[in-house]
Amino acid sequence: MSSTTAESGLARARRGVAPGGSGTAPGKRKSKLSAQATRTFFWLLLPSVILLVLIHGYPLIEAAIQATHDGNLLQTGNFVGGENFATVLSSAAFWKAAQFTLWFTIVGVFGSWLVGLGLALLLRTKIPAGNTFKVLLLLPWVVPIVVSSTAWNWLVATPDSLIPSIFRNLGLGTPLFLADPTLAAVTVMMFKVWVSFPFMMMMTSAALASVDNTVYEAASMDGASRWQQFTQITLPLIARSTYISWILMTIFCVNDFPTIYLLTGGGPVNATTSLVVLAYRTVFQDFATGPGVAIAFLMTMTLVVISVILYRQIRKSSVE
Amino acid sequence: MNVQSAENRSFSRRGFLGLTAAAASVPLLAACGGGSASQGGGGAGGSIKFWDMPWATPAYNDAAKGIAEGFSGAKGGKASYQIIQWANFYQTFSSAIASKTGPAVSTGGGFQAFQFEQQGQIAYADKVIEKLKSNGQFDDFLPGVLDPFKSDKGYVAVPWQLDMRVFWYRKSLFEKANVALPTDWPSLLEAGKALKKIGAVGFATGAGTGNNYANHSMIMMMVNNGGGVFNKDGELDLLNDRNVEAMEFVLELVSNGIVDPAAVSYTTDNMSAQWKDGKAGFGLFQVNVPQRVGDTSGDLLVADPIKGPHGDKATIVFPNNIMMYTNTPSQEASEDFLVYYLGQLKQLWQKKLMSALPVFKSITEIPEFADDPNNVKIVKDWQPIAKTFASQGNTLNANLAALDGGQALNQFSQSIITGKADAKTALQTFQSGLESVLKK
Repeated sequence: MSSTTAESGLARARRGVAPGGSGTAPGKRKSKLSAQATRTFFWLLLPSVILLVLIHGYPLIEAAIQATHDGNLLQTGNFVGGENFATVLSSAAFWKAAQFTLWFTIVGVFGSWLVGLGLALLLRTKIPAGNTFKVLLLLPWVVPIVVSSTAWNWLVATPDSLIPSIFRNLGLGTPLFLADPTLAAVTVMMFKVWVSFPFMMMMTSAALASVDNTVYEAASMDGASRWQQFTQITLPLIARSTYISWILMTIFCVNDFPTIYLLTGGGPVNATTSLVVLAYRTVFQDFATGPGVAIAFLMTMTLVVISVILYRQIRKSSVE
Repeated sequence: MNVQSAENRSFSRRGFLGLTAAAASVPLLAACGGGSASQGGGGAGGSIKFWDMPWATPAYNDAAKGIAEGFSGAKGGKASYQIIQWANFYQTFSSAIASKTGPAVSTGGGFQAFQFEQQGQIAYADKVIEKLKSNGQFDDFLPGVLDPFKSDKGYVAVPWQLDMRVFWYRKSLFEKANVALPTDWPSLLEAGKALKKIGAVGFATGAGTGNNYANHSMIMMMVNNGGGVFNKDGELDLLNDRNVEAMEFVLELVSNGIVDPAAVSYTTDNMSAQWKDGKAGFGLFQVNVPQRVGDTSGDLLVADPIKGPHGDKATIVFPNNIMMYTNTPSQEASEDFLVYYLGQLKQLWQKKLMSALPVFKSITEIPEFADDPNNVKIVKDWQPIAKTFASQGNTLNANLAALDGGQALNQFSQSIITGKADAKTALQTFQSGLESVLKK
């Protein structure tokens, strides 16, 4: 093959023209392909889009209708505009629940992340039966919440339960973990951390597994301490996974109904009532559908805002 | 230092927002979803669809199913049986009724019939009452049990069992404390103090998840003092003097440590354990407590009703009922089924499957029921003084559903048994809370 032929062949190849082909202008061909691909993608996506609209759109529209009417679960009732939102936003119970939800989420997200991160780092080191421990540590996440909440109730509910008995025997009095408003809030948050840390541990373990050990070797050779390696290498390298896990755990915490409801029912005297528990009780115990759904709407809006903020953090970490 | 993989970069904003929206819409879905799907009112072949709750052990539902399926209507009609779980039961009924897939006849929540009546979904039971009059069952009802169901338009439902609240006590604890059984409020206070000295509870109750006994205890004490949530015209009247006096007395029990300080978080299981373990000396509970808590030693007994400071004696009762719906393959068949089912109820008490009082005198006389002296005492001493949640009014209504188990009552009970508020403040908050949710 002469050099001229070779150059011409390479040029054709770069343009995507097969040997013997005449070769249309690359722009036109791309445009034609693109239009075809768009149509194909459209038809392939259509069933999923319809499904998503049905699954999410219909309830959202129905909820919007309920939130702006004074009806019940059977009848739509009269249009009241933003009255239900005004009622909810002017209610002390709503703001108390919002405050608890905020604390519950902060402790739930960062508490479970810290425990999960610590265990993930520990399990990364070579310890005997590490995989067995990993499986055992998943149990709080795997066990149905009804079972674990019953177990926690047995541990703390009465003065004769195991944990208060231990405190008593240590001369620390008999704390009423579910009867005292502050202790009940702390107990529910601890329960959430206990239930959620395996998820964080798995997310972090997966992120840590993708970090190349040679990075640490290089850092060691450069004289970086363990702490410097952790803060300057490990945390930045798993930042994306961390932000995603924070977003997901924030959503899990804000939407968490069973953890709270099964352990305290939102009591004592609303001390552990979160927004989702308040929404449930408003709709299904007070039968006030409009205000209850309005609470759910406000929660959803807040979650979207929080998620967008955290998403930006992910983008930022990508750029860095 | 940062390392990014191509895979990570493919994580798009749109994809992320989709994921977020899906997860974030959970509460909205939860608020709107639910229900079941099957044929409305009638089952396969136009049979009457009967929905029932798990009122007792699974053996109860087996027996009730047998009774329902034994129905044979005048035109050869049959009935099908379905258990509906208590969890989110109102949601289940609502969505089924809204989609015309609900039952033709059902048991359910104590005030459910009135809620659905308000929404035009209930078929009145006047013709059933006529049939009961003609077959003699009408005269068999215990006194006063039918009256709360009569509205201006007709009978909204028919009662079939009475969920009674009565005082129970553990005999051995009173002997150990060397104190007499209370007969009035001052002696209840004294007995409580004596029981406390031996480490027992003198006013056992609970207000934890799903436990309404503290709510019922509060209303019972108001009613026991001639008060109640409503006045005789059915209007909210929580701040009357009798209620204030009753709550001040309960707060006195609390301040003397006669109410367990942890009771605010007790579930019914925690409460039952307290009775079983010999910690509870006296308190309000339901029928059949020994069987419920698993203590058949004969040490747990029904106490006498106690007298309030003005001489009133009363307790509260929830007349559970069977209702018919307008969505039925045949109203006549629904009525025939209900008359048939009421006629077969005796079997359930003969098999000792029920944890409630029967509504028919004849059932209270069967040996399987009357052999238990606690049952006899409840029928003889407590049933005649029992009043409903509508007290001081008489007729049940839809608003009572938001009272029983609603946030206002629950918060009120918890604030009283923790002693966090004085009687008037707690009642004022309760009244405001109820006013905001009760339909005018």
